[in-house]
Amino acid sequence: MKTLALNNLQVAFHEHLLNGSPAIAQEVVSGGRIDVDHRLHIYHNAYRVRLQENLQDAFEKTWAYLGDETFAASALAFLEENPPQHRNLRWHGANFPQWLANRFPDDLDIAELATIDWQLRHAFDGPNADPLAPAKLAELTAGQWETVGFRFAPTLFLAPLRYNTVSIWHALDQEQTPPAAETLLEPSWLLIWRKGWQPHFRTIHAIEQAALSQLHAGASFAKVCAALSEQYSDQLTTQMIGASLRTWLEDELIVGLTSVPRSTDQSAREPA
Amino acid sequence: MPGFFPGVLATLSGADTQGKNSALVIFFSDPRTLPMTNASAPIRKKSPGFGLGLRPVHYPDFLREPQPVEWLEIISENYMVPGGKPMAMLDAILERYPVAMHGVSLSIGSTDGLDTRYLAELKALARHAQPLWISDHLCWTGVQGRNAHDLLPLPYSEEALRLVVRHVEQVQDFLGQRILLENVSSYLDYRSSEMSEWEFLRRVAEQADCLLLLDVNNIYVSSINHGFNARAFLEHLPAQRVQQIHLAGHSDHGDYIVDTHDHPVAEPVWSLYREACMMFGDVATMIERDDHIPELNELIAELDRARAIAAEARRALEAVA
Repeated sequence: MKTLALNNLQVAFHEHLLNGSPAIAQEVVSGGRIDVDHRLHIYHNAYRVRLQENLQDAFEKTWAYLGDETFAASALAFLEENPPQHRNLRWHGANFPQWLANRFPDDLDIAELATIDWQLRHAFDGPNADPLAPAKLAELTAGQWETVGFRFAPTLFLAPLRYNTVSIWHALDQEQTPPAAETLLEPSWLLIWRKGWQPHFRTIHAIEQAALSQLHAGASFAKVCAALSEQYSDQLTTQMIGASLRTWLEDELIVGLTSVPRSTDQSAREPA
Repeated sequence: MPGFFPGVLATLSGADTQGKNSALVIFFSDPRTLPMTNASAPIRKKSPGFGLGLRPVHYPDFLREPQPVEWLEIISENYMVPGGKPMAMLDAILERYPVAMHGVSLSIGSTDGLDTRYLAELKALARHAQPLWISDHLCWTGVQGRNAHDLLPLPYSEEALRLVVRHVEQVQDFLGQRILLENVSSYLDYRSSEMSEWEFLRRVAEQADCLLLLDVNNIYVSSINHGFNARAFLEHLPAQRVQQIHLAGHSDHGDYIVDTHDHPVAEPVWSLYREACMMFGDVATMIERDDHIPELNELIAELDRARAIAAEARRALEAVA
């Protein structure tokens, strides 16, 4: 019997891994202590186990939240639709949160939790940047304050939160029964970044989110302050932005200063 | 060991310096001054000694105080990331230990061809880490742009040989150094195979001018799964190209064995390692553990056993000399 050329053999083998397609069986030598089906099953099974374990590792809290059975079923279904394409297994699962949103459209807290898992992992090995020394701000002249902008940690991730997912995360982290999923009454945002070598996250509210988003998008500090003072008193603006700035510096979120040309500043995003 | 000592004597008398016992020529000579044909440098580098696979759980042990290992092997892909703790830990390790890079995704035997982006990342890591050497597996890991993240066996055919040799040459040209290829464990044979695994391995190494990472556990696992003689595998390899040895544990399922790296090294693998030491002389040896990872001390104790076996083999060979 004629055998397959190498390319066809590899395609047939891979098809077997993906969906159990039997074509490869006739390419395998029979005999020995185990039969051909058993030999192929070792590979077919190992493929699933390895990739499922990788997803468990990457989505640890989501796994705990869904439980072994539901997570395993989800992981296998995801794998079927999303066979890894990157050489590094590290990147498999990037679209798992979105996939979970489609699979559980009435329980979007699951996708939100998966987003936290993935972004924390992303922050863990994301690009490095040295934090800005607070003294650098003290050196700025009054003129420089007019145009100064900030560069933020490259691991910074900011997204709106709709559910009490952070409370769920903390309960799971303490290996306690998570609270029931609830829609948040006030708008809230999730901020994830890395401080030192440790990924961090916290929720932030509308004012800080507006300021941070604009600064992250390249607006000058002066412009952000001006925008806030249109909504709040000068005193409150100074207080709020001062407190936020201090927190950002302590959290190592700011990694550099920029000078924002006025022309660019005008086109910077308006507050949300 | 009937059959072995006659070979030793034949080698010493110069009757067989090109054949299967050429390993002994290497052993009896100082590798640093070994006269090679065409007066070039030795193919393999002098062994740095005994090492372990670096696993994150042991970072604190390796960084707290010097550990009794001469070198460490890193999984290349674990450090092909933008930054953060993995890269910080790697830098700290590099200050303290020589490091070899061991990849799992080169997919040297895939008909998809080489992934230039992967190779560029690998080269960037090598530039950063300045490793003892760079290794990966003689296998394929995917096709049609999809990756199985498994070390899938190749048929030992002329077609596969040509493909692998071409790819190894391309990789070595790109990296500017010889790479090491490791024999993988396998659970099936293809009808399209035209030669034994060891002949395939030998021909790849010689034709592509690369080095070998001999996984003694994988040889044992495959020898049980396919019913071949593990010692014959060793005897047919080009000894001067064996740069490194892996030792690891496996899971015995009765009818077959799976290469799981979650147990201590098994007794038959230690026996085979002793044979390898007798044939290949001083070869950089390390233990791989990827699951149920024990305390570092336990792995160092296992490594001490490898040292003892290698030393015993050296004494036995010296006694013959």
